[in-house]
Amino acid sequence: MRLAAALLGLCLATPAWADCPLDLGRGMGWVVYSDHYLMAFRSDPARIEVGEPFALVLNVCTKSGAPAELLAVDAQMPDHRHFMNYRASIKSNGDGRFRAEGMLFHMPGRWEITFDVRAGEESERLTHDIILK
Amino acid sequence: MIRFLLLVSMLALWAGGAPAQPLLDWTAEEIRTVRQHGPWPPPPARDPSNRVSGTPAGIALGEHLFNDPRLSGDGRMSCATCHQAGREWSDGLAKGKGAVDLDRRTPSLWNIGYLHWFGWDGAGDSLWAQSIRPLLDPREMNGGAARPGELLRSDRALACGYEKAFGEKPGPDDERLLVDTAKALAAFQATLVSPRTPFDDFRDALVAGDRERAARYPLAAQRGLKLFIGEANCNLCHLGPRFTNGEFGDIGIPFFVRPGEVDPGRLGGLARLAASPFNLLGKYNDDATGASTRRTRHVQRQHSNFGEFRVPGLRQVGRGGPYMHNGSVPTLEDVVKHYSEVSPDRLHSDGTPLVRPLGLTTEQSADLVAFLRSLDADPPPAPAPAPKSLCP
Repeated sequence: MRLAAALLGLCLATPAWADCPLDLGRGMGWVVYSDHYLMAFRSDPARIEVGEPFALVLNVCTKSGAPAELLAVDAQMPDHRHFMNYRASIKSNGDGRFRAEGMLFHMPGRWEITFDVRAGEESERLTHDIILK
Repeated sequence: MIRFLLLVSMLALWAGGAPAQPLLDWTAEEIRTVRQHGPWPPPPARDPSNRVSGTPAGIALGEHLFNDPRLSGDGRMSCATCHQAGREWSDGLAKGKGAVDLDRRTPSLWNIGYLHWFGWDGAGDSLWAQSIRPLLDPREMNGGAARPGELLRSDRALACGYEKAFGEKPGPDDERLLVDTAKALAAFQATLVSPRTPFDDFRDALVAGDRERAARYPLAAQRGLKLFIGEANCNLCHLGPRFTNGEFGDIGIPFFVRPGEVDPGRLGGLARLAASPFNLLGKYNDDATGASTRRTRHVQRQHSNFGEFRVPGLRQVGRGGPYMHNGSVPTLEDVVKHYSEVSPDRLHSDGTPLVRPLGLTTEQSADLVAFLRSLDADPPPAPAPAPKSLCP
């Protein structure tokens, strides 16, 4: 609830973000943001299973309203310092939406997903943790 | 009085099967974790890249070919020479013996249809592609690429079986017939599903909340299972119903095959995968959707792959052995000892090591072995021998 209120406040305070579609079609997912970027994403399929490939469907917005680019998506287990055995490929829909295909978490535990985003000359890395059981 | 008590005890045994023992306390989190190791058996494996996967005619042809030594160069070795039904679909040797002595152990074929990577180094991305390798490898069956085609065209029964499975007579394209032979072999191998075990009965009872039935599972196995999913963290890699994540790891087994020569494991396997004309990105993949290619398209070759080998499933593990990719560990007790005493210096881990010396007590080691042996069961009655003729 606090997160929703914070996001609502954030969107109201930043007009460009108010237009950023956070619903990716299934009414579920995650939102990450920084001073410059707001990003919503969900997995496809909705439930991530250990050892099974999945994709991420993402929407990337900027505070300025400028178009953003998703450069790379990767994931690692910080506790064990290893990455995925797979490299995601990214397809752009051209409207701020992206699909990262070929993700696979091969162990249960904490995975840190990293998103490299860029708008113009400014690039940034956003992160989000997922605990996989 | 004593006679009366004995009689009561015997009646209790007769009525309830094995005597009930105390059931350890299982937390909700532990039950959730145990639940993930089932149910068993899973639905039959189907491979969309193989158009005869799961088809009776494909399986029947594959079983015939699996036992046919004419596929080898000297006409003396079939797939069944190394993958023997009576030896858990392996050969019981530390290292395989093909046309020459090999450097790796013959892997069991139990539950192989559920894998995504094949061979100890994962050089195969489908069971049919993996089945081509020993046919051609001069160190193994050394059959040559033209041998399956010659056999399918010249043997009336096989030709008929081929037509039933693939819907056409064997044609002149030897490479196509090599691939189709491998696809029939894969269809047969995918039917090799290990039986239900005492662990499965325990898992089902625990999940269902049936304490009485769960308590029939030996206490040592219960303690070993708690270790397996708890302190020892074995289920980080040995997870799911097959007790494997299907990926690769370095657990500190020496990778020298002889002085000056190493087995690079997954690193070499990925190079061979990329170079193979039979990988899932090639023209022989029958899956028009492309979904079966996801792992192959996205897998990345990393330096850390050096010395990694496929995480084996653990069902029927106590009946197999020797253990590890090179058969260097003779018994299940020795496997547990390895994990108890493995040298951290050998593993080069930066973060929290996935494999670390567990420092198990004698009792803990015995408990872990007891749990692992509860993943064994007598195989189902030997399948009826393949009919002499593939066609009436």
